[in-house]
Amino acid sequence: MILDFQTNSLTTVNQSGPGVWEIELNSGDNLFEVSIFLEIKAPTLDIRRSEIILKRDVLGVIPDMSSAAAKLIGVRVGPGMTKIVRELVGGENGSNWIADLVLEAMEMLVNAITVPELGKAAEKGGEQIRVSSDGPRIFLNDVVIGPEMIKVLGANPRLKDSCAAFQNIE
Amino acid sequence: MISTTMPIYRRMKSCGVQNQGLNKRIISGVLEDELYAMQCEIMVDWPTLTIESIQARLKRFTTVRCILAEKVFLRSEGWKIDSQIEGRIKKELGRNGCRHMAALMIDCLRSLARSELANSLRCAMESTSDLDKAGFIEDFFKSYPDLKGIAKIR
Repeated sequence: MILDFQTNSLTTVNQSGPGVWEIELNSGDNLFEVSIFLEIKAPTLDIRRSEIILKRDVLGVIPDMSSAAAKLIGVRVGPGMTKIVRELVGGENGSNWIADLVLEAMEMLVNAITVPELGKAAEKGGEQIRVSSDGPRIFLNDVVIGPEMIKVLGANPRLKDSCAAFQNIE
Repeated sequence: MISTTMPIYRRMKSCGVQNQGLNKRIISGVLEDELYAMQCEIMVDWPTLTIESIQARLKRFTTVRCILAEKVFLRSEGWKIDSQIEGRIKKELGRNGCRHMAALMIDCLRSLARSELANSLRCAMESTSDLDKAGFIEDFFKSYPDLKGIAKIR
């Protein structure tokens, strides 16, 4: 009944100016803790500033990440970023764990940019939902995107067949 | 530097690992952000590293179809945690179910692997004050090779 191990992470996306976003990801557990900072600029969504600060490494296995952080400058959020980031930050001389966290930070920018779009889609093609698994008494969802708008969004090749929501859409 | 603007997006994730007896591990995960709220609980048999049961619950989501993903995660019952598990979760559960829940599940299993490593390290350090950590890591993953990939300690 006592917790043996805990992992926590918090990623925050700030818009610091028109078309400029700052992403800060902090992740830590009993063995490791790291803080990642990225500044990304539109329209190309490329990384302008990056910082990787290792705060805990109980096992002493993570190499110095300052050169890896510098290599991220110019990398764009978009198709192909997974391979590029894994090559620059991961591998034999880097950290695959930190490479994954950098990718997670980049993906959170996509989510952040998507929030207003999904809000509009729910306004246009939303419907009320009540599902039993959403809690016996308190429901978090009032309006979600309905079938017609799912079809519209699912036409985007990046979303098509990407998850249960966008599978088998005619 | 103090920020003077409000964040436009925040994602919080947390995983906890609890040992129940000698051969049960319970991992609980929660995720919350502007678009999603979800949680999962996973029971793993130790040391066979078999996922015995999983509960995946979507609480806040974006489309009427997202809720279908909950059942997809039941497919993982009986899976063994090995070097292929991360890819398998992304491909079979993420694409057919929910990518966000799949990422949370991977975080949970990583926490499990690191928890075992941390517990063994604590015991080893209690008995050996000048422990060779590199040697310890090598020995640990010799004993539990299936945990090496998911632990991702580097």
